[in-house]
Amino acid sequence: MKRAHAFLVAWAAVVTLPLLWAVVSSLKTDREILTSPWSLPSTPQFDNWSRAWNQAEIGRYFGNSALVVGGALLLTMLFGATTAYALARYPFRGNRLVYFGFVAGMLFPVFLALVPLFFVVKQLGLLGTYPGLILVYTAYALPFTIFFLHAFFRTLPTALAEAAFLDGCSHWGVFFRIMLPLARPGLVTVAIFNFLGLWNQYLLPLVLNPDPDRYVLAQGLAALSVSQGYRSDWSGLFAGLTIAMLPVLAAYVIFQRHIRSGLTAGAVR
Amino acid sequence: MAQDRHGRYRFLAGAILPALALYAVFVLSPYAQAFYLSLTDWTGVSGQVNFVGLDNFTRLFGDPLFLAALRNNGLMLLVVPVVTIALGLLLAVLVTFGGRRGSAIRGASTYQTAYFFPQLLSLPIIALLWQFVYHPNDGLLNGLLRGIGLDGLARTWLGDPQLALWAVMAVLVWSSVGFYMVLFAAAMAAIPTEIIEAAVLDGAGKLATLWRIVLPLLRDSVQVAFVYLGVLALDGFAVVQVMTVGPGGPDNATEVMGLGLYRNAFTFSKFGYAAAMGVTLFFLTLTLAVLAMRAGRRERVELA
Amino acid sequence: MNPSSQPRRYPTRRAVLGAAVAGAALPVLGGCVTGGDDGTTEAASGAKTAENPLGVPDKTPIEVVIFKGGYGDEYAVNAESLYKQRYPGATVDHKGIQKVGEALQPRFVADTPPDVVDNTGAGRLDLATLVGAGKLSDLADLLDAPSLDDPAKKVRDTLLPGVVDDGTFDDKVQTLNFTYTVWGLWYSKPLFAKNGWTFPTTWDAMLALCEQIKKAGVAPWTYQGKYPEYLNDPLLAMAAKAGGPDLVKAVDNLEPNAWKQQGLVDAATAIAELAGKGYILSGSEALSHTEAQAAWSQSQVAIIPCGSWLEAEQKGITPDGFDMAMAPAPALSGSDKLPQTALQAASSESFIVPAKAKNPRGGLEFLRILFSTTAAKRFAELNSTMPSVAGALEGLTLSSGLGSVKTAVDAAGPNTFTYRFRTWYAPLAKAVDDATGELATKRITPAQWSDRVQKAADAVATDTAVKKYQR
Repeated sequence: MKRAHAFLVAWAAVVTLPLLWAVVSSLKTDREILTSPWSLPSTPQFDNWSRAWNQAEIGRYFGNSALVVGGALLLTMLFGATTAYALARYPFRGNRLVYFGFVAGMLFPVFLALVPLFFVVKQLGLLGTYPGLILVYTAYALPFTIFFLHAFFRTLPTALAEAAFLDGCSHWGVFFRIMLPLARPGLVTVAIFNFLGLWNQYLLPLVLNPDPDRYVLAQGLAALSVSQGYRSDWSGLFAGLTIAMLPVLAAYVIFQRHIRSGLTAGAVR
Repeated sequence: MAQDRHGRYRFLAGAILPALALYAVFVLSPYAQAFYLSLTDWTGVSGQVNFVGLDNFTRLFGDPLFLAALRNNGLMLLVVPVVTIALGLLLAVLVTFGGRRGSAIRGASTYQTAYFFPQLLSLPIIALLWQFVYHPNDGLLNGLLRGIGLDGLARTWLGDPQLALWAVMAVLVWSSVGFYMVLFAAAMAAIPTEIIEAAVLDGAGKLATLWRIVLPLLRDSVQVAFVYLGVLALDGFAVVQVMTVGPGGPDNATEVMGLGLYRNAFTFSKFGYAAAMGVTLFFLTLTLAVLAMRAGRRERVELA
Repeated sequence: MNPSSQPRRYPTRRAVLGAAVAGAALPVLGGCVTGGDDGTTEAASGAKTAENPLGVPDKTPIEVVIFKGGYGDEYAVNAESLYKQRYPGATVDHKGIQKVGEALQPRFVADTPPDVVDNTGAGRLDLATLVGAGKLSDLADLLDAPSLDDPAKKVRDTLLPGVVDDGTFDDKVQTLNFTYTVWGLWYSKPLFAKNGWTFPTTWDAMLALCEQIKKAGVAPWTYQGKYPEYLNDPLLAMAAKAGGPDLVKAVDNLEPNAWKQQGLVDAATAIAELAGKGYILSGSEALSHTEAQAAWSQSQVAIIPCGSWLEAEQKGITPDGFDMAMAPAPALSGSDKLPQTALQAASSESFIVPAKAKNPRGGLEFLRILFSTTAAKRFAELNSTMPSVAGALEGLTLSSGLGSVKTAVDAAGPNTFTYRFRTWYAPLAKAVDDATGELATKRITPAQWSDRVQKAADAVATDTAVKKYQR
């Protein structure tokens, strides 16, 4: 048992040490980072954070990410939920075809689509625009969302919906008033997974979002590593990294029960 | 639900068509086009598309860069899933059964929380972080080694062709172990305790219990993990692009297919050729998925 | 012949995102390639006089579009006010923008372009495509017009060596680049003075100096290992000096065994010597350009190869009194074909006058004003960067680095050279980078270096799918 703990602690150190190091470094001066990479900062340099936020425009990238991911999440959840529900509860000709068509999307390597996608988005005049990015994010998040929610809607009881129909509820009414609230746990789980996936998306914006003013956080940080590097502003870079990491870590700590139960659902599936 | 057929169809259309339209325009059509483009010499400037048949594919297998990428992705495919799953299983077992009499270990939840952290960060951020870890002179890793007197082990991790790919794989493993550990732990927690207790009562040792009872019940999770990690190992783009020398170096030691595709398309402007790489990658991924699923199915038949 | 825009290597080296951005800029003009019908729009022109040699119509407005990037657009606004002084009846419409391609592509397609464009930056229009579609004016009239400063001198003769060449496509000058970049080896003057070191002009002296530097406890050389192309610059420069323009041409024209020329083998041997004798800071091969340059500016290292942008790039982290200076690469032997002072040089920041401009004479005149010493001086003052106009830095108080760049350019005179294979054949450039990285870490020998690169060059030469260029 001691050995078990020792191993678990060792791995915890391997995982957290680089992260902690980044956080600590974000509060040090450049000189301290270079000369004594191990020590704690003599006085915490919160100035690094404000510099990264304002001057290095992490704030702007943050806003861009929030806007794009927020928009995409909304669309994904809306379209994903309606589609998954319709496919799960309404038998019609071609139902299986549509379902598998969507689900197959989970298997394709994004790289394959990358080149034509660039030109599709360009021809629609959406290259480097927020709507373009939101729509593409949504399209690529749909397969997993539909796959997950499809399974979820199938497990929901039918009695309630039938009762509602007898009461004269419309199809939309049943969906929004009865089924959606019932599916809330599943919706939350899939929303969290989508948030993580979309927030961390790198390849799609790298190709589809070339305007530095509209960079999302992952792009902005990659660019920052170069530009701060030019100034050898390591502390600013670490501050930027930390600012980018913290909200996701915080969201995780708050929602971790949902994430784990989502994983359990996946594991038991 | 027989009432109101008209409304039913309107509802179905309204529910499915928006998603289907987005999916068709941004996902299906690019994939379909990629297959066509892979047979052309398109340079991205319209009006100059020539059909070249399988020329791109024959070129591909004479392209030393692509062959290096194939070799590197192949090694990653062998190493990353196996190491990640082994570590993930080990940690999951320790957390779930490491406590007294095979119960969960104290602090299990804290461990799981900590282990999941890397999964939350995007790969470029992780790669950036590790770039500093691997820094030859001021980095965390060499600093640590020198700090404990192992100066001789300090290396130019990303500058040495013998080590660079392993350094990349270590980052991929580091970033994914937590997720699969939590996944496996969840699956283990779902095993009814009676089964475990019964096995223990039968006098089976801890290891035997694990091997004979727990692992077979995790088969589905492990299989899913293999597919996802396989896809990850066939990618590796973000980490390589941000972190490595060149990128893809030194001397193509960390070249991966995604990087080659990206470079050919967006730096060399050889879109047809890049599409051929994408198609190859697609078939590799498909083969991997089918193999993994097949392996699982056969086992299940035997169990039945 | 020079169908490719000059390397603006500094931004494209911003490794992480550069490639995507450059890619995005490429196909912008796709739609207008086929649209070259000869609309006979009559462009305005005025009477040609000594004061107005280009025949600019006085009352016609002019529209100027400037890439507002690292250099801002104040220098252009300054040139525009000079234009207004000369042509008080004209109104100047100034636009400082970032995405030149995005804004102008539809206007080029519709044949309603502005009168002069600074086609620069990540989102620029692809020059080769513009040329191919016949969208640009021939700048010959401008080049043969008397210069603003000295009517006895043509504009052509006021430009630094290579600038006209850089702007020539299909035997016509279709663009003029406004800034001038040279490559060399950088060091800190006080550091050298303090230790009694002098910057060597021959390779033997370089090796002797490195031994001294090493003894003093400083690493003699470092390079931006993550991007080995930086180390190519001194290697290729020494080779060019040894073998002269013929060596450079043979390389660019993909001639058989071009990379086995003695000059190149000797230069590779020189770089290998640096590595072999332990004169390169250990770990350099894994340092990014910023990390290597930071180590250099902290005087952990004595010498680093880089282009003339280094001083501006290091602004803010260069310690006070560091006083950096650039020197040309040393001569390999006494029998070099070019003098040791010869420089690798290239121009960038590309100005064009669209063929269908409403006021093309005004566009040319704007360039005549911009490329005058008055306007160029203003640019140099604002940006600490060398314009491609001769004498633009005269009389200015220059920073240490820029001053050394000027000295080097003056000393080089007409002896400048530039390799084009890097822009013409990107895959070959990558092969050279990889090989040089291996050479500098002693994993291959100079002979193997030659063999490898030659193989890559042969592969490009025999690849029918690659468009070939000649010079």
